[in-house]
Amino acid sequence: MPVVGIPVKRLRTLLGIELEPADLLRQLGHLGCDVEGFTELARVRCAACGAVHEMTAQEEIPPACEACGGDLRSKHEELAPLEVVRMELLAVRPDMFDPGGLARALRGYLDRETGAPHYPVVPPALRLTVDARLGARDSYRPAIACAVLTGVRLDDDALKVVMKLQENLHWAIGRDRKHASIGVYDLDRLTPDFSYTVEDPDAFRFVPLGAGGSGAEHARSLREILEHHPKGMGYAHLLAEHRAYPVLKDAAGQVLSMPPIINSEETKVTLATERFFIDVTGLAVATVTRTLHIMTSSLLENLPGTTVEGVEILGPGEGERRITPDFRMQEMTLDAGRASRLLGVPVSAERAAELLRRMRHDAAVDARGTVAVRTPAYRNDILHEVDLIEDVGIAYGYHNIPPSLVPTFTVGGARPQAEAAARARTLLCGLGYLEIMTLALTSPALHDDLLGRPASPAVKIANPASSEQTMLRTSLLAGQLETFRRNLTHPLPQQIFEIGEVTLLEPLAETGALDRYHLACGLVSPRAGFEEIKAVAEVILREFGCPCELVPLEEAPFMPGRAAEARPGDGDAGEERWALRFGEVHPEILERAGLQNPVVLLEGDLEILAGL
Amino acid sequence: MRSFPREQFLIMTGLAEADAELAVPELARRLAVDQALIAAGAQLLSEEGLVTIREEPYRELVLKEAGRRAVAEGFPERRLVRALLEAGGPVAIRELPGLTSLEAREVGACLRFLQQKGWASKHGGELRPGDALAQGEPAPGADETLLEALAQRAGARAREQELGAAGIEVDRAIEYLKGRRDWLDVRAKRTRLAKLTAAGRALAAAGVAEAAEVGQMTPEMITSGAWRDVHFKAYDVRLGVAPLAPGKPHPLQRTIAETRRIFLELGFVEVASPMVESGFWNFDALFQPQDHPARELQDTFYLAEPAEIALPPDESLVARVRATHEDGGETGSLGWRMPWNPARARAAVLRTHTTAATARALAAAPGGPRKVFCVGQVFRREAIDYKHLPLFHQVDGIIIDEAATFASLLGTLTAFYGKMGFERIELRPGFFPYTEPSVEVFIWVEAKKDWFEMGGAGIFRPEVTRPLGCEVPVLAWGLGLERLAMLRYGVLEMRRLYLPDLQWLKEVPLCR
Repeated sequence: MPVVGIPVKRLRTLLGIELEPADLLRQLGHLGCDVEGFTELARVRCAACGAVHEMTAQEEIPPACEACGGDLRSKHEELAPLEVVRMELLAVRPDMFDPGGLARALRGYLDRETGAPHYPVVPPALRLTVDARLGARDSYRPAIACAVLTGVRLDDDALKVVMKLQENLHWAIGRDRKHASIGVYDLDRLTPDFSYTVEDPDAFRFVPLGAGGSGAEHARSLREILEHHPKGMGYAHLLAEHRAYPVLKDAAGQVLSMPPIINSEETKVTLATERFFIDVTGLAVATVTRTLHIMTSSLLENLPGTTVEGVEILGPGEGERRITPDFRMQEMTLDAGRASRLLGVPVSAERAAELLRRMRHDAAVDARGTVAVRTPAYRNDILHEVDLIEDVGIAYGYHNIPPSLVPTFTVGGARPQAEAAARARTLLCGLGYLEIMTLALTSPALHDDLLGRPASPAVKIANPASSEQTMLRTSLLAGQLETFRRNLTHPLPQQIFEIGEVTLLEPLAETGALDRYHLACGLVSPRAGFEEIKAVAEVILREFGCPCELVPLEEAPFMPGRAAEARPGDGDAGEERWALRFGEVHPEILERAGLQNPVVLLEGDLEILAGL
Repeated sequence: MRSFPREQFLIMTGLAEADAELAVPELARRLAVDQALIAAGAQLLSEEGLVTIREEPYRELVLKEAGRRAVAEGFPERRLVRALLEAGGPVAIRELPGLTSLEAREVGACLRFLQQKGWASKHGGELRPGDALAQGEPAPGADETLLEALAQRAGARAREQELGAAGIEVDRAIEYLKGRRDWLDVRAKRTRLAKLTAAGRALAAAGVAEAAEVGQMTPEMITSGAWRDVHFKAYDVRLGVAPLAPGKPHPLQRTIAETRRIFLELGFVEVASPMVESGFWNFDALFQPQDHPARELQDTFYLAEPAEIALPPDESLVARVRATHEDGGETGSLGWRMPWNPARARAAVLRTHTTAATARALAAAPGGPRKVFCVGQVFRREAIDYKHLPLFHQVDGIIIDEAATFASLLGTLTAFYGKMGFERIELRPGFFPYTEPSVEVFIWVEAKKDWFEMGGAGIFRPEVTRPLGCEVPVLAWGLGLERLAMLRYGVLEMRRLYLPDLQWLKEVPLCR
């Protein structure tokens, strides 16, 4: 999960309540924030473009400015450090990613301002037309929602908050700009009305952000931006299958942006910006609308004194017309009895309504005694009554709920496989063997080559993260040999064992594979030999009560003539099941593994030994 | 005549005979008695004022791996000199690896030794023979002689004095070798020297006798009754003995065993589920949206073999899960409002949580009251480093019960961690797609004075339980076990649990 640093001073100002630092952390924790603590961020301002960069104590000043690409390391102005609360982003509550949204939630939780916040929307003065081609297969990004913010007054911190919020929403809802990508522009540099349309990748040109200037000589074709601009290269995959690319333009033909890639240099927000135009584009109307609601309402919280204005959106379908944002609330009901039963504490309908209001819902008890709830448009996590019950629980405080146990008596029972494993562990410990554990994930090189065997048919990973973990083990023997190899300097004799699951491909099994408990043990010493490991084998067979026929085994890693297989019953030759395999490891394998002393190994199938 | 226990008698007579100060190992060798016994005996005699013991530092020289190679293959500078002599004059440095089968890096590292010994020197890109080569190949230097001598000794080690006595210029050799890594180890050691005091000498001169004292009791002594006539030697109970290493369970297995025992004590039935799992059971049945980031290739191991797993044969179950995802179905939920793709549900994965096991257990018998748990390995797509492993163990549990509440979830987890030795637990708001309320479980670790996150818990959403046929509340949790083992056994890096270090496994105490 990404971590966000919430500026403490800003949070306190927006909160309007004095809280001790420890108290602030505790209240944030109760609200569900995964708080790491307070820290100071160093800050520098790029001398070229004025963008502010923040760094933790471990980070250095980046060589290049992210906004303009200029030489930041040598050309910057140092700013005062910033105290922040560091916390992990809770993906399900994007409305609490920023100081304004957090303060909104905390004010409710602390009972200073309850019920749903209301954000009146001024009727639209601006109109945006959506080109029908955006709904076509080869240029698909049909959904858009917009808003205008007026009365904006920015300083460095506020601008940073806007940018970070945008970035974090891209992560949480946008799935890295795929489902939703947000643009913020200086409306005073634009000429109404706007159009959302598509353009030819090669013929159409504009000056992207970070091109090094705003003159016509910096203009690039859409394709050039995707191929050479850092942001273009980073997000080019989102347009890879398109033949025409989405573009947002004003009435004068000035480009606002090429969603979801990059904005234009001309329209960028600066400290002097007083009016924002905001757009969210994406694949589904529901997602972009929700994102717009979160973005806009958080900005209203962060920038006191601003007003939101609607935008009239026409298209993409014939006659389609919407006005966004539309902060209409979601309506639901809550049964206080169900909430009490699920939480395990008595909560009356009145109390439930009060708790919900503290979580910033509008809630009132209706004539039938149920709680009628209206949830603000910025909450996108309420699917069911149980989600409201959780909010009741959080506001009640999980720490205020006394622990209890279910009153019902039930009889426990162990899995026979696990019990057999426990018995085998007792037995091998009694024989003086030390238990090891190795990873169930391995690779043909570690699992088969080491033992001089052909590659086992095994469960194989399609997207391994490392060349050393590409399959599930089918045997425990490689782990034994690998352990001896890792402990070359450890005194001899070494006696080890492992009990664990191996996984075998089995087409008849429901999932195409079967997990089986195996045991393995190994001994390395100058005098290790067949006799010793056979003695161990006999003990295991006797103690598990599993009479077996011993037959010679010719299979790597063992030496022919010095290895045996124990088959249950009378050792019927047609019988493929074996209880144990053991013997002396072939010297060629020892030599290849770099082992200088004789090794004997044993592997057993616990489920056969235990008759399961 | 004074009589002494056997070792003390031997020491008295041995030292008297040598009439000199002797090192304890040397004395033990002469007397053919174990060194530890001689050390103990000499200690007792010194307490009586018959022997004085003095400690003397000395240096022990040990041949290391790179040094051993140099002895076997010849010092690299000597090999270079031979190449120079053969060429009869300066040689370009870049040609030297070809002429000597040394690596370029080794040639480079060797230049300063050639210079130091006056054998050759570097001028620009070539190596010129030094004056010392006028008479042909130089005789072996102190360093070469020293390493050669060490290589011939048992254990490839010797004391400085012994080497000096053999005519080797030890200091000069050490000076030469100190810049070479892994050639020679010079260890500071101490030896104990014993000699008779005046009183001891007088007593020895007057004659001493060996007491009829025995160490090991024998079967004959017991059966014959001879034990009545012997004097059993008193042992120094403080002396060290050869260490024993017991066979014992792995620390993580002990934690797993304890976890199982506790849930069995609490009346839970143990279940298992396959490590190779379908997207359906690992995600869809748990109402994890199909576009959830955890389902992406970068977080979950998808399988090439088997690549697909058939959906459950109960078509109505699949239809209910599908409807729940798309529009909430009959659960009263809004659902994820996105089309549900059966291909994603068929994809085979390595299970990412043992919640897949409890979901299967719930589907198999959805009626309560019932309590079920599962301990197993789960997989996340990570490469191994100091804080990540691609797999770990979890214990998942569910309680299916009309009377189950969030309060009983807190109570059950408090009971579990209480039995594990952690008295305080806290549930903090969290988020999982399959539970509501969702909480993260923290335990207070007194030793570290901090809260530690152990896993997640909650009450299964109706979107999970109803499609599986369950109408009552289901409490659920998935807790990591590695972290418990690490806290208990003081392990700092999780990978230590899976990369067996036998020394550590022997040393980590069973009882914590």
